[in-house]
Amino acid sequence: MMFSRNPARGSRVLNGLALLGVTGILGMAFAWQILYDELPCPLCLLQRVALILAGVGFLLNLRLGPSPMHYAMSIAASLGGMVASGRQILLHMAPGDPGYGSPFLGMHFYTWAFIAFAAIIVFSILMQTADRKWGDSMLKKPVPVVGVVVMALFFIMTLANVGSTTLECGFGPCPDDPATYLWLPSSATP
Amino acid sequence: MIMMLPFLTGLVAVWFGVAGKRRPCVTFWVLTLLIFAAWCQHHMTSPLALSL
Repeated sequence: MMFSRNPARGSRVLNGLALLGVTGILGMAFAWQILYDELPCPLCLLQRVALILAGVGFLLNLRLGPSPMHYAMSIAASLGGMVASGRQILLHMAPGDPGYGSPFLGMHFYTWAFIAFAAIIVFSILMQTADRKWGDSMLKKPVPVVGVVVMALFFIMTLANVGSTTLECGFGPCPDDPATYLWLPSSATP
Repeated sequence: MIMMLPFLTGLVAVWFGVAGKRRPCVTFWVLTLLIFAAWCQHHMTSPLALSL
């Protein structure tokens, strides 16, 4: 443990960038949902949950300083996300299957999600190796304005997902192939 | 099975994380992970049309 007012600053900057990346992926999926009116399926929603959980590990690294436990949280969440996205890839990999939703840059979002989860695991392992000298601390560290903005964006994206999922599924399960929002009037209705 | 539930508990975990309160943050993170695992079990038990 090193005694410094702002320890592991470089590591926390990288974790802030990783959190920004996770927020960007969530934002991209959310924008796609709104702009193209493509509703996420239950497996897609579960992948978003895993992304949020992986982001919490980076958030704690940014707020409290790097810790093996925070990296383990991101790795565990990403493994769960890989299971959900891997399952969806297997569901649609048979010849002639068009897949779920529109592809983006040649691949569907669940395939991109699988790659993103793998990247988060690699990033966390590398960072954990580099951050081994910092130990573990539960004390809050000073966060620059940019870091506060990134944390706020992550919170807003999570809140937006709570809202859209509630609009889509209400307080119950989601259908496997949702066509309309449960709590919004259908566009087909006159 | 409430689909929005893991998002709600995840939001609480994020809130405590932003506030710098690790213990409640991790508690809600674990709770969200458990709900995630239960929901995965619910949605991933149908047989795949594949020979694995």
